[in-house]
Amino acid sequence: MSVMIKLSVFRHDPVGSSKPFMQAFEVPLLKPGMKLLDALNYIKWELDGTLTYRRSCGEGVCGSDGLNINGVNGLACITPIEGLKQPIHVRPLPSMQVIRDLVVDMDHFFDQYRQIKPWLQAESPLPEHERLQSPEDRARLDGSYECILCGCCTTACPSWWWNGDRFLGPAALLQANRWIVDSRDDATGERLDQVEDAFRLYRCHQIMNCMEACPKELNPTAAIGHIKRQLLSRKS
Amino acid sequence: MKTIKEPGSAHSGFSDWYWQRLSAVVLALLLPLSFILLVAVYNGSIDQQGLLNILDHVFSRVVHTVLIFALIIHAYIGLKVILEDYVHVLAWRIPLISLMLVLMSGFAIWWLAMIWAWV
Repeated sequence: MSVMIKLSVFRHDPVGSSKPFMQAFEVPLLKPGMKLLDALNYIKWELDGTLTYRRSCGEGVCGSDGLNINGVNGLACITPIEGLKQPIHVRPLPSMQVIRDLVVDMDHFFDQYRQIKPWLQAESPLPEHERLQSPEDRARLDGSYECILCGCCTTACPSWWWNGDRFLGPAALLQANRWIVDSRDDATGERLDQVEDAFRLYRCHQIMNCMEACPKELNPTAAIGHIKRQLLSRKS
Repeated sequence: MKTIKEPGSAHSGFSDWYWQRLSAVVLALLLPLSFILLVAVYNGSIDQQGLLNILDHVFSRVVHTVLIFALIIHAYIGLKVILEDYVHVLAWRIPLISLMLVLMSGFAIWWLAMIWAWV
């Protein structure tokens, strides 16, 4: 008899009439270093095929399986079972509309990402080869470009819970800063204009849940602080 | 699906953020002075006449005025942010912020009158 892992998984089908509930599962510990996603896969493939969740790469790169695990947001695929208090409570990302079980509606999240225009806006003519950047300028993108847009930070932010319709949230603002600091981008002024707003940017009250939640160990609060300092230096 | 019309940037928010921090610095410097004065009265280093002499001085009055302004600005912006966070209905939010502004301005005027009307 192998060691069993106890899980309590959020189930909800908005199309049906039943209310959301937590379903208990027991999964054998298949291998040392087993991740939470392995347990969810076991449930789906061996116990209950109706369990619905997003997954793709399984190694913390695609950002599909952002979940609320024992009350803390993280990626199921890189969260080890060991160290998690059992039964492991697995819920969808907080404050999000549930499509089914652990799958949430990410439309608004990605719409906010689109609003910060996450692409290079350069005035200078296109060079024959790539746009060059010094190693120092490139190093300034460290801590921003690694973001995989899993939504763990934004859905952990109380400011975004209360005012998510207007506050852009940590993920989008981290990316806004990524383009503001990029030496190849010429639209810094417009980018700062776009976020200079009591709600879009200044709803951040440095709660720092985003930094706690980020599975890639990035610091969106610091990025937001950098945007605020840029606005300060522009005005004073 | 949640569809939200994006109103764009209002180009506001910077001044609130700036004044809240500026007033915090002023408060951090000036607020301890009033507590020092209070402790001095309680431990008997200053009697009533001594306290009045200090408060009566024009320098004290100016410092006191700056302190009241910083206090009101800091409290107003802080409470405004809380109302904006939690009161989502504009028909409630705007009157509440306005009411707060009126009450706080009234308090500041009353206090300034006390500071400067002292004979």
